[in-house]
Amino acid sequence: MVAAWFLWQTSVPADLVLPKVDPTVGVDRRVLDEAEDYERFLRWTFVGSQLAALVVLVLYAWRGARLTRESAAGRIGTGMLLGMLGLALVWLSQLPFELLKLWWQRRHDLWRSGYLEWFFESWLSLGAEFLFVCVFLVTTMALAAVLRQTWWLAAVPVFVGLALLFAFVYPYLVDGRPAPENLRRDAVVFAHRQHMKPVKVEVEDWSDFTTIPNAYATGVGPSRRIFLWDTLLDGRFDERELRVVLAHELGHHSRNHIWKSVAWYALLLLPLLGGVAWLTSRRGGIYTPRAVPLALLAVLAGGLLLQPVDNAFSRRHEAEADWVALETTRDPDAARRLFRGFTRDALEDPTPPGWAYAALATHPSVQERIELATAWERRHRGG
Amino acid sequence: MTDHPVRLTVNDELRRSRLTVLFRLILLIPHALWWWGWSILAVLLAIVNWIVTLIRGRPPAGLYTFLASYVRYTTHLYAYAYLAANPWPMFTGRPGYPVDLEIDDPAPQRRWTVALRLLVAVPALLLAAAFAGGGPGAWSESDHREAALTWAGGTLLTVAFLGWFVSLALGRMPRGFRDLQAYGLRYLAQLAAYLLVLTDRYPNVDPAATPATGVPHPVGLAIEDDLRRSRLTVFFRFLLTLPHLVWLVLWWVAAVLAAIAMWFAALVIGRPPAPLHRFLSAFLRYATHVYAYLMLTANPFPGFTGRAGSYPIDPRLPPPGRQRRLVTAFRFFLAIPAFAVSGALGGLLFVCALLGWFASLALGRMPRSLREAQAYALRYSTQVSAYLLILTERYPHSGPIRVEPAS
Repeated sequence: MVAAWFLWQTSVPADLVLPKVDPTVGVDRRVLDEAEDYERFLRWTFVGSQLAALVVLVLYAWRGARLTRESAAGRIGTGMLLGMLGLALVWLSQLPFELLKLWWQRRHDLWRSGYLEWFFESWLSLGAEFLFVCVFLVTTMALAAVLRQTWWLAAVPVFVGLALLFAFVYPYLVDGRPAPENLRRDAVVFAHRQHMKPVKVEVEDWSDFTTIPNAYATGVGPSRRIFLWDTLLDGRFDERELRVVLAHELGHHSRNHIWKSVAWYALLLLPLLGGVAWLTSRRGGIYTPRAVPLALLAVLAGGLLLQPVDNAFSRRHEAEADWVALETTRDPDAARRLFRGFTRDALEDPTPPGWAYAALATHPSVQERIELATAWERRHRGG
Repeated sequence: MTDHPVRLTVNDELRRSRLTVLFRLILLIPHALWWWGWSILAVLLAIVNWIVTLIRGRPPAGLYTFLASYVRYTTHLYAYAYLAANPWPMFTGRPGYPVDLEIDDPAPQRRWTVALRLLVAVPALLLAAAFAGGGPGAWSESDHREAALTWAGGTLLTVAFLGWFVSLALGRMPRGFRDLQAYGLRYLAQLAAYLLVLTDRYPNVDPAATPATGVPHPVGLAIEDDLRRSRLTVFFRFLLTLPHLVWLVLWWVAAVLAAIAMWFAALVIGRPPAPLHRFLSAFLRYATHVYAYLMLTANPFPGFTGRAGSYPIDPRLPPPGRQRRLVTAFRFFLAIPAFAVSGALGGLLFVCALLGWFASLALGRMPRSLREAQAYALRYSTQVSAYLLILTERYPHSGPIRVEPAS
């Protein structure tokens, strides 16, 4: 709890009062309606998909152990097979929802890739998930062989180590190209203002697939990078808005958000894996392959329960990055225009309903972000 | 099951005339011209045969005799071209050639199979591409040009190319090569008979149906697969194999180092050291298990250790024994022809896997003939690897008969 409290703290002033701001000012009414309509459909698609996944995994936990006969791979290998088959069934159950989502995004001109192309990409990403679940099961089943019921205590540092390794390696796996000169120059200046060493800024080409603007900070130590999707650089956002994006992403690095996220991940893993260990103990523990389907169900259900907590943590980081961006650029006008642009160009609902906000939102709402920019302005300029 | 109405007979003594081998392509020119003319007529008459058979339910005797002679002549010609036989063939397709066909008398045919003949023949045509060439490699701009061209040539052309040099050098065709050619020729003849509406029996790709004599080989493949396939694991087979492929790559790195050490050791002491032999045997067994799983030759998810007897498709490898130093010294170069044949058989393995994927999803079981063809290709590939890894000094035998080593 102490660690969680420390991680929860941000540099956004605790006494900051967000003023009531109308996020729809300057945005076409039709766009607002479209954004609301667009996100409502996606929310219910998400609910349907999660229910379908739960039903599939409940059935799998009930009958999946029979599939051990399809393996000649011994205890851990059979566990891996059952883990992969569980994911395969979930993937099948998600196909209709994902197709609906793609259809909806294409209908709103936010996604450009074709159905077949999407299917193969989804198929390949399932392969990556297979490898991930194999690593997860090899680790847990091997630890369970030695430690039996207390395996989960040892598994947490292992998975945290793997998460750090992934965070380090990921930037090297992205096919990026150098960002335009002016942005790289700004990045050096902003890094200096945020008291950190310069970070590489690269552009990732996404415009063949989508029109959604996006950027993210990734990597740790020498692998730290900022990636801007080329959809941000197609002229819809002016130079001042792009500077806000850059300062926001640098803020993630300067405030060590990736390290803190890994630490947060470790805190969430403890109850999640503890729950898996407790549940699977009824089937001989994760040591036995027959318990793997139940473990998958426990991970999915636990993940869904922990999702709101994780989202809240993520929103605090994003709010802090916004704050740092305002401190760095001192340009709240550009920030407000940028956030309104997310409604205009990515159809983000500026005021999502409470349940969807808690369950799905990893970023503050557009309204909150505009309010934060206005609060910063009032605090610094007395406006 | 009764015998296929189109059967290949082999009465060839393997001797080859160096002179006719040297000029084989030129000697083929008159036959090629004659064959083209005959082919045009055969296609036209096959259409007539198709219509009449569709109406009457059996092919008319006259047309049947003509088209059967055409198929027989084509087989003679191919056997000559691909060095499966030695004498210059007759132009009439009369029986008596060393590689010949026995074709039964005309029999009634199910009309629906006649009506849909071309459509139903598509899988067989894909398999024929693995034998006769024209697979993806023919048009592929792949970086792996060697493998692509091998497949493009199919087994017949690949083996004929290699056999040409061997026949020139030795004056005889290796038995394994001749038998592999017979396998391909038999399949193509059965396919031709099917397409020309001489029979409604589907071509049989099972290598065991080829008249060939087995030669005992120290590397074999034990098969205990019951043909049952889980539709779920078949559907996701490639992705399910990914962890094994990752593990195989890691193991492969260690195996290459071990193979180099093995080569030096075998050169010095004249036999492979037991620990390295054990390690490389486990690696080879594991690789075979993984390929068998990936290609649907077997059903269960394999283990990661390559333990002997742990999988339904399991290589039987010999214990370490003395090996001639000269053969060891040039092992890599000696293995190159076997690699080429193995590459060509890889095309067959892949096409069988592709067809088997659809069949297994539909039926929940792998057709036996496809599984047997795959097992044959896998066995040969295992023999090639065992030879290269210095687990045995016996050269791979490409004949399609399954011969198990004494256990």
